Amino acid sequence: MKRLILFYISVVFLAIGCGEERESRIKVREGIGSDTLVDNIVTRPVAKAFSALIGEGIVVDEAVLRRNDAGFLELHVNGHNKSYNTKRFRYRVEWLDASGLVIETKTSVWLRASAMGKSPFSFKVVAPRTEAVDFRMDTRKWE
Amino acid sequence: MKARTLHIIALLSILFTGCGEETTNIDVVHDEGKPVMALDYRDFDQAASALVQSLLGSGSLKKKDGGRYVVATGRIVNDTMQRIDTDQLMAKIEEELLNSGQAVMSSAVGSGTDKLIHETRELRDSEEFDQSTVAARGTLIAPELSISGKIFQRNIRYDKKRQQVEYYFQLKLSDAKTGLRFWQKEIIVGKRGSNKSVAW
Repeated sequence: MKRLILFYISVVFLAIGCGEERESRIKVREGIGSDTLVDNIVTRPVAKAFSALIGEGIVVDEAVLRRNDAGFLELHVNGHNKSYNTKRFRYRVEWLDASGLVIETKTSVWLRASAMGKSPFSFKVVAPRTEAVDFRMDTRKWE
Repeated sequence: MKARTLHIIALLSILFTGCGEETTNIDVVHDEGKPVMALDYRDFDQAASALVQSLLGSGSLKKKDGGRYVVATGRIVNDTMQRIDTDQLMAKIEEELLNSGQAVMSSAVGSGTDKLIHETRELRDSEEFDQSTVAARGTLIAPELSISGKIFQRNIRYDKKRQQVEYYFQLKLSDAKTGLRFWQKEIIVGKRGSNKSVAW
């Protein structure tokens, strides 16, 4: 039994990189696209179980700040969901002025977002004051 | 025997007093309470935040000469099954628009009208008032933009035990002079829960 599990895990790791070259901007999910050596009916349950075991979740890749034409700071958050399950979460952004102090605003509330399994996600937050120069963001589970 | 029973009942009553659900204050910033089928303050917070961010981000309130637009709040229709004071949504939005530095809100016309503004103008011919302190004719500023909108609800039977309730928050910004619409946004808040829950 142990050997069989080891064999499956080996197949998963060995097969990485053996897939054919695809359009990276288009995500074709299981049950729609063709099975591959890496992602098929045999390897998928093992990969999902392993992902759940190590507790994979979302990763924030970058936070881009830019000032829009109206003079407000915009925060663009880009990330990806490493797990196989859809991750639902909440985020709250607080805006900071030049002195590093929090700007009081009704827009700093817990907002909802979600990312499908093994997919990128992005969202945008707009500062409601032109005095905002920086931000801080917190996340929590979407109960 | 009777006295003993009465004693037991009295003792149990005393013991159970205080075992009920105690009242707690809600942490309105980091509320971890369960969602409810009806609209609660968290839904209004979320909708208002998303609407304000969209409006400010659109640049529709940026005046070319750098001044501030005069904005009036028009009619916000409540087409839900709940008794909602639409100010629960608009007060937050108006506050943020004022604080943004790009708009001033009108209290002279629209749903945010302050009656006293018009009442003080009725004092023009009163001998009781120093006429130099009474607002002169032609001093009110007409709004350049108006905000109007609607909140409506749809109840859908999801399966035998559950229902789906969809709330739509719609807001639009129009030029009062030309009638042209510069911005509009819809936010959907969806809830799925027991058929026994009442969404009104």
